[in-house]
Amino acid sequence: MESTDSPQDQLKRVSQELLSNKIQLHQTTVYLQSILQNSNDLIFATDVDGVLVSFSKGGEKALGYTWEELAGSFIRDLADDPLEFDKLTKASREKESAVRLELPFRGKDGQTIHCDISLINLTNTEGKTVGTVAICRDITHWKKLQEDLIQIDRLAEIGRIASGVAHEINNPLAIISEISGWAGAVVSDAKGLSEEDREELETAARRIGEQTERCKAITHQLLSFARGSGPDIASFDIHSLIKKTVSFLEPQLKFKSIDIVLNFEDEALPIKSDPKMLEQVFVNLVSNAIYAVKEKGTDQGRIELKISRAGPNMEIMISDNGTGIPKEDQKKIFDLFYTTKPPGKGTGLGVPICRNIIKKLDGEISVESQEGTGTTFTVSIPVS
Amino acid sequence: MTNDKDVKVLLIDDEETLLEYLSKRLLREGFTVKATFSGEEAIQVAGDENFDVAVVDLKMPGIDGVETQKRLKKIQPFLQCIVLTGHGSVESALESGQQDAFKYCLKPIDYEALVETIREAYEKRNELLNAKFREKVEDISSSGLGARGIKRAINELRKTYGID
Ligand SMILES: Nc1ncnc2c1ncn2[C@@H]1O[C@H](COP(=O)(O)OP(=O)(O)O)[C@@H](O)[C@H]1O
Ligand SMILES: [Mg+2]
Repeated sequence: MESTDSPQDQLKRVSQELLSNKIQLHQTTVYLQSILQNSNDLIFATDVDGVLVSFSKGGEKALGYTWEELAGSFIRDLADDPLEFDKLTKASREKESAVRLELPFRGKDGQTIHCDISLINLTNTEGKTVGTVAICRDITHWKKLQEDLIQIDRLAEIGRIASGVAHEINNPLAIISEISGWAGAVVSDAKGLSEEDREELETAARRIGEQTERCKAITHQLLSFARGSGPDIASFDIHSLIKKTVSFLEPQLKFKSIDIVLNFEDEALPIKSDPKMLEQVFVNLVSNAIYAVKEKGTDQGRIELKISRAGPNMEIMISDNGTGIPKEDQKKIFDLFYTTKPPGKGTGLGVPICRNIIKKLDGEISVESQEGTGTTFTVSIPVS
Repeated sequence: MTNDKDVKVLLIDDEETLLEYLSKRLLREGFTVKATFSGEEAIQVAGDENFDVAVVDLKMPGIDGVETQKRLKKIQPFLQCIVLTGHGSVESALESGQQDAFKYCLKPIDYEALVETIREAYEKRNELLNAKFREKVEDISSSGLGARGIKRAINELRKTYGID
């Protein structure tokens, strides 16, 4: 039906419609803006080429970039795996509805942000793709929780295996210990031995006994690691503990030119902590250092142990000039079973056990390393 | 001072090699030692021979350490038992018979500590035995038996308690 309105009326109506549309548009814009400004989610839009045209405040927070830094860059370059992101984009263009996937982004500091992403293909009225809109939920925390749970599960599993093995090993250890004691006693009273031979044999029997004690201490530790029992706090001298630990490891140093530098005063430095646990930590860390230095094959191997006081804490640094650890592997070394050593040489338990122990002692352990140059482990524990 | 020769030790553990060397060492130390490889065997041996101290492994096939110890004490009430327990089983061992054992020791045992514990157990046994003996003797003397009757009763007691 033709309108009978006068042109004036028509103009009035159109401008009214326009006004209401404008208001609506404004409202929608405000609505969208407030979502983009206030949502914790990472919400972005790109043009058809994948160039970012909008990025939410939540996204800035999650990735650590500001919009100014991002404007004009390709969203795919922010993905942990750009090719994976391309696939997702392609999938969204073939589908009417949103596609959902778990996809990690890389933040400004190189950190991984796990996202649950919903990607929607934007089309114009003719059905032509003009861009993409996506809403991503940062699930890094959740992911971490999930990994922790898996870790706890694996820890419990190893606990079971370890305590089984340790129990089995305890028996033969006890026997070795008895036999070495017996051998020592027989040698002491034996007739017809030269004094020199007697001493030699007595020392040998004693050494077998000492090393067996060491094994017993390890199985004991493994068992307490497995059962998660608390530390046995005692007062002791950390300097002599470290000296003792190093002397334990001396056999590993034979035929190699490795300097072990003890960078601390001779006098006693008392501390209240669990000496057995700490000994295990230092044995592990220094063993790793020795291995790394040998592996590098330098004839100027150097391992330094340094102790310093940092407020209420004692800081022990163990540095080596060995192979070092590539940046991307520095986190993995704390994972159970992660090892780069050939079978029989590595278990991948050393560093995680250290971390576990240090946690129990209310301390912290960290690593700094440069591939090809060396590694420093820093253990920080409360003095009392 | 205890004369180790007087201390009759009964060892019970299914780990034969361990017992072999442990008994050799204890013998050399001067103790009188008998090694048995199961609770059953120990109970049988204790039927024929008196012991002062028993060293019992908690975990054994057949009758376990706690049960062995209980039965041994029925046969020889003054016998002192040292029970060896593996890591983590101390608590359960304690629940099942703390009062009966002289001491629970954690395995793997420390030899020197074990020797010390055996000597202490022996002292404890003698104390208990002497106290009981005196008590009995007093009972007898106040019971109005004649001199001869007392003498005979005391000799009977000596035999029962293995005191010469
Ligand atoms: N001081 C070090 N220098 C170089 N690499 C090291 C050092 N300490 C640890 N690592 C790396 O960490 C891995 C895990 O160490 P660890 O947990 O002790 O297990 P393992 O020594 O049995 O391999 C090692 O295999 C090695 O790759
Ligand atoms: Mg290691």
